[in-house]
Amino acid sequence: MPRLDTFQLVLQTGDSGPGAVPKYSINGFPLEFDDYEGGTGPGETLQAVAHPQSFPHTLILSGPEEGSWDIVGAEITYHCDGDEPYSLTLGEVMLDDHADLNLWYAKPPKVFDV
Amino acid sequence: MPSWFSKVFKTDEEEPKVSAPVPVDNVDDVDDDEEEEPLPEPRRVVNAPIVVGDAEASGYSDEIVIKAKMEPQSNGCTFLVDRPLLEGGMSFWAPDADTAYASAPLAAAIFDLGGIATVLIHGMTVTVSRDGSEFSPWEEVAKRVGGQIRAHLKSGMPVLDPEYRDKIADEATLTQQLQKVIDEEINPGIASHSGVITLNRVVGNTAYITMGGGCHGCAASTITLRSGIEGSFRMAVPELGAVLDETDHTSGTNPFFKELPAEMGM
Repeated sequence: MPRLDTFQLVLQTGDSGPGAVPKYSINGFPLEFDDYEGGTGPGETLQAVAHPQSFPHTLILSGPEEGSWDIVGAEITYHCDGDEPYSLTLGEVMLDDHADLNLWYAKPPKVFDV
Repeated sequence: MPSWFSKVFKTDEEEPKVSAPVPVDNVDDVDDDEEEEPLPEPRRVVNAPIVVGDAEASGYSDEIVIKAKMEPQSNGCTFLVDRPLLEGGMSFWAPDADTAYASAPLAAAIFDLGGIATVLIHGMTVTVSRDGSEFSPWEEVAKRVGGQIRAHLKSGMPVLDPEYRDKIADEATLTQQLQKVIDEEINPGIASHSGVITLNRVVGNTAYITMGGGCHGCAASTITLRSGIEGSFRMAVPELGAVLDETDHTSGTNPFFKELPAEMGM
């Protein structure tokens, strides 16, 4: 498992969103993003950066404390120790006051033509 | 001692005060109206769909396209062919060359390359592991395996020997046999870890399972599946093909780790 030094999150909210910048959790520890721009209100885009510098068994974006959060899409860029950065695009998902979003996807295995 | 320590770990000097027990003959005096507070609903983790931007259009052409994907966890390599190799849920597992030569010409052709440990054929994929006798990088070996698969398919020879295929028991029989292994061997064995295995269905000779309880989201679930469950299955049902885990180990109410108390938040 690689050490995740930094990850960048660009997240677009649809019709409903909490407004406040959410926390993320790595291995169950809730943390705040180190830097961000924008927000998570309806129609807003959040650009956030975190430097967990840890080995992620789990990486979770906390869902709203109340109400629902309509996420139209998200792009995550991972910077792992000793490896090239890689990105992943997530599609639409709805979170509620009992749901958090999985953010951790290990680097896809190398695929090549044979 | 940090302030959060006593909230997480009970210490001798901070034993919680316990109210006096109710005498047995006064049990009727206990207030029946006092109900336990319901536990809060646990939060669950959900997955958003992954958007793939460069999905390639499929369609069979004269040229057989094969892509190789490294499998870091098993030190194997999966070959995705652009057309079905086996249909109807049929799959084939070759733990050694002798099994392959007896029943599956495609697997035998791959073993002919040497240095191969196992071959699994299922749907449009061939998964190959190596026996460690050769030190060439997978990229080189994968090209030879891909060439062998392509040549075999072009030759028109069957992937699986039709006679062997006819001998495989029907789905109901395989289901019964596998369920017996789960009930009598696997689930009692993993009960000490609070794990439970469910056989969802058998299609052809391919088994689909779910890993629940303590196995759900466990970092060692792959080892349990490959070394424990598959081994028990194959001992009892040698003609079993692929065993596929349908568990989403990253979602649910407690994937990998339980959240620590909020007081420990950093």
